[in-house]
Amino acid sequence: MRDPYSVLGVSSNVSDDEIKRAYRELARKYHPDNYQDNPLADLAEEKMKEVNEAYDAITRQRSGAGSYQSGGAAYQSQSGYRTQGYQSASADPFFTKVRQCIQAGNLDAAERMLTQEATEKNAEWYFLMGAVCYRRGWLDEARQNYQMAAQMEPGNMEYRQAYAMMNQGGVSYRPAGYGSSGDSCNDCCSTYLCISCLTPWGGPCC
Amino acid sequence: MFGYVRPLQGELKLRDWEGYKTAYCSLCHALKERCGTAARFVLNYDFVFLALLLDDESEPAALCKRRCAAHPVQARNTVPITPGTALCAQESVILTHYKLMDDVRDEGFGRKAKSRLAGLCLARSYRKARKALPRFDETVKTCLGELKVLEDARSPQLDRTADTFARLLAAAAPETGDDAVDRPRGQLLYHLGRWIYLADAADDLAGDREAGRYNPIDTRFGGKPDMDYIETTMSHSLTLVQNAFQLLPPNRWHAVMENILYLGLPQVQKRAVAGTWHGGRESRLIHERSI
Repeated sequence: MRDPYSVLGVSSNVSDDEIKRAYRELARKYHPDNYQDNPLADLAEEKMKEVNEAYDAITRQRSGAGSYQSGGAAYQSQSGYRTQGYQSASADPFFTKVRQCIQAGNLDAAERMLTQEATEKNAEWYFLMGAVCYRRGWLDEARQNYQMAAQMEPGNMEYRQAYAMMNQGGVSYRPAGYGSSGDSCNDCCSTYLCISCLTPWGGPCC
Repeated sequence: MFGYVRPLQGELKLRDWEGYKTAYCSLCHALKERCGTAARFVLNYDFVFLALLLDDESEPAALCKRRCAAHPVQARNTVPITPGTALCAQESVILTHYKLMDDVRDEGFGRKAKSRLAGLCLARSYRKARKALPRFDETVKTCLGELKVLEDARSPQLDRTADTFARLLAAAAPETGDDAVDRPRGQLLYHLGRWIYLADAADDLAGDREAGRYNPIDTRFGGKPDMDYIETTMSHSLTLVQNAFQLLPPNRWHAVMENILYLGLPQVQKRAVAGTWHGGRESRLIHERSI
């Protein structure tokens, strides 16, 4: 295993707080939410694991050898929704097979099955077609398919989340110092919300 | 090829801006050394970014001062040519060659003559580059062939047309055999290629419409383009570029690339979508040519 300090990108004599800060930044960077349905998700997961292990090792070392705290790091998903992003099971055995293909990264096979073997185009069909397009980077068609799925079955959270993610333009980590591209505080709505948070009663300012 | 991938200079640290200029001059020298003097004129911001990305060195290199025709008096900093820079130089020449051939076919009389002349000047450099990278040359040719077929058919499928250009750019990443490098780099370039294609289409929208030329965005929306939609889908491609970038082992240009990806590109995107980019001519480095 690599030196845990170099994994976190700090020297071995920094304070506990700095260790924690470095760890948090890296955990934010490799967070599974940023790589949902992304073909690179496995690489991000590996990095996340490495960072978690390094942090655990350092906390263990610093709290005195022997007193092992298991899973001290194990960064939690902040947003609360499933981080897997994608369920492999479906009520329909045909779609289960398609989902397995997509998960294994075999997009051509999944697309072939959808276009040639499917009996009807229901909401799940559109959702899975969207998933194939998304993984290819075909974002326009992914969005159209997700939208169709969400419209055909408005009660399905999986379809709605996928469509909402497209409307939002994806989830990304921004490195420290890069803010949120500089515009989110320029429009009057977010300024209003920012100010409203500062009121003593924590509610609307006017 | 289009000069969209550039840093936001005002937000760069001075040492990173110096670094960027060093990379710029180094690529220019690499172009001359590997492909001949004519190749120097293909230099543009997009290729500089490619050079930054393909450089595998993580330690800052010793600088060497060099003079050239554009800077005859005050020598500029350069770094010794790395395999990544050399590769980038050859790929740049190949890409520019095909871009010129494309212009000879599509553009009006004036541009056509200019492109033909530029193509002739670049012919020797191109032959050298093609000899060094026959597979990349073949991929570019195939992808642009597919793109031409789609454009001639006036395809309304935005993703399909953008995909040809995206695959072409993804092919610019060398295969190192290391999955943890090759996959993020390939993905980064794929999504960046899609983004560049869309930025160019958004930028050309007004001109194409006037001239009655095919424009993928115009056709996608049947003549009434939803620019908010285009901006969202472009931002999404950028997000995927950024997420792929974060998985790459940092090299010596990491800070500059971060500025380009998180600040430079969003800035360009905003102006391209608003139709106020026009090649970004007001902010070019001294001998930047976007042929």
